[in-house]
Amino acid sequence: MVKPILQVKNVVKRFGGIIAVNNISFDVREGEIMGLIGPNGAGKTTLFNCITGIYMPEEGKVYFMGEDITGLPPHKIALKGIARTWQKTRPFKKMTVLEAVTVGALLRTSNVDKAMRKAEEVLKFIGFPKEKINALGKDITLMDHKMVDLARAIATEPKLLLLDEVAAGLRPHEMDRLAEVLRKINSEKGITMIVVEHVMRFVMGLSGRIVVMHEGQKIAEGRPEEIANDPKVIEAYLGTKPV
Amino acid sequence: MNAGMKKYLIVIAVLAIALAMVPFALGFNQYYILLAATSLIFAVFVVAWNIIGGYAGQLDLAPIAYVGVGGIVAAQLLKYYGITPWIGMFIGAGASMLLAAAIGYPTFRFGIKEVWYALLTSSLVVILNNIAHLPQFLGSLDHYLPAKTGWYYLIFPDYQNLYYIIVALLIATILINLKISNSKMGYYLRAIREDELAAEALGIDVRKYKLMALITYAGIMGFSGYLYIVLQGTYSYHTFDSPTSLTIAIMGIIGGLGSIAGAFTSAVFLKTVEEYLRSTIGATIPGLYLLIYGILLIVVGIFKPEGIAALFNWIKKKMGFENRGM
Repeated sequence: MVKPILQVKNVVKRFGGIIAVNNISFDVREGEIMGLIGPNGAGKTTLFNCITGIYMPEEGKVYFMGEDITGLPPHKIALKGIARTWQKTRPFKKMTVLEAVTVGALLRTSNVDKAMRKAEEVLKFIGFPKEKINALGKDITLMDHKMVDLARAIATEPKLLLLDEVAAGLRPHEMDRLAEVLRKINSEKGITMIVVEHVMRFVMGLSGRIVVMHEGQKIAEGRPEEIANDPKVIEAYLGTKPV
Repeated sequence: MNAGMKKYLIVIAVLAIALAMVPFALGFNQYYILLAATSLIFAVFVVAWNIIGGYAGQLDLAPIAYVGVGGIVAAQLLKYYGITPWIGMFIGAGASMLLAAAIGYPTFRFGIKEVWYALLTSSLVVILNNIAHLPQFLGSLDHYLPAKTGWYYLIFPDYQNLYYIIVALLIATILINLKISNSKMGYYLRAIREDELAAEALGIDVRKYKLMALITYAGIMGFSGYLYIVLQGTYSYHTFDSPTSLTIAIMGIIGGLGSIAGAFTSAVFLKTVEEYLRSTIGATIPGLYLLIYGILLIVVGIFKPEGIAALFNWIKKKMGFENRGM
């Protein structure tokens, strides 16, 4: 049994009367790519925000490598080794691609030159086109933004990477390229991942295990093929069959 | 230090030599040297403002608060205790930094930003103006520096010496900016300006870095305060002047946020125009320069949000500097 790198235990997050995340628990094993799926408004992003310290969960605990990280501010959680990307990319528009990734790399060193070399390395690793690394954030495409977001996060040398709808808005061939990059990051850098996704084809092919959320609750957990045939999951996505 | 940094140092050296020759070019006309010194002290202010306003992206409208506190502390120390401004300016800078810490800590702790930060800082100037007006502090009178001259007082019968001191201060301020811009702090501040939440998720202690930027900027402002008072001739509660405070921020915006060259050019150009207008038609149409600032701000906002810096970026590209978003 591999030790869990992340343990989410009975996490609850409410917004007024709405329970966005309702008593969610799951473990993430070291080295795996775990999918987290669910229809719109299932609470996936809220759960991410609870793990990364943007929200303070009302109840429950989050453990990272055996340590309680519940309620720590985001920058401390990043320092411990959890990085994330954003559903809607958050680019540094007036910085060049290289500078933006350097910002990430500066978490582990104070030397700008070293960080910049590290950033170049990371960009090369994920296959970012070399001729675009001096382009400003405002001048690049959505796919480039996703890659920069990813590179920025990897440059912080995380042990766990949370990807929030990284494939949203991409064309099919771009998705395939992205999936390939993610697999490479996982296998070569040994970074554990949680992939939140809407695009079924993408997440089914990528993850070894999937957790399904619906209306704030966990309704299923298992291998992709089990999930695909789970009646509760089908109901959540497609509604019940009319009698 | 990389090759790019060396190029910048050469540019700064050329600038220093050029500025050193200005009094000769002006034929030691005292009035013009006073104007040049006034322009340059505003360049110091705007370049220092660039740290909080340009890099960190916080619309700070209280520059004159820190100038005033630092300057008045140094001036009072000289006037009542005979302490030389060589020491007083450091104490003044310390006082401004303490004020900045007292304002910045709760402000950043509670996440006050954007318009709210601008409102809060602009009211700081008004509050200080009112406090200084109290009889326990400066009262309603104008205060004069001791009627003495010499290096001990940093007051001189003519303006050349003061001009050269301000040039030195400007070069130092530019170097501090350049140092910050090329360091971890500079990268972090720009990331905060671009997207606070994304910056925080990359492990940046946003509060800490904003506070560091604010205190550094306040320190330079406070240090320069005494020289500003010497140029003005007097100090009083009027030193905490809201339009002047706004002017510094406006110059920074017109120059282009985060650009040292833009900040410098904008301050020198606008201040010179302002003084020229004041001396020629200031009596018939007072405050015309404010109208011009307003128009420029609109023009820059519509056509070139990057400000004067856009021009420099174009020149830098031609000269083969790397694109580093500075």
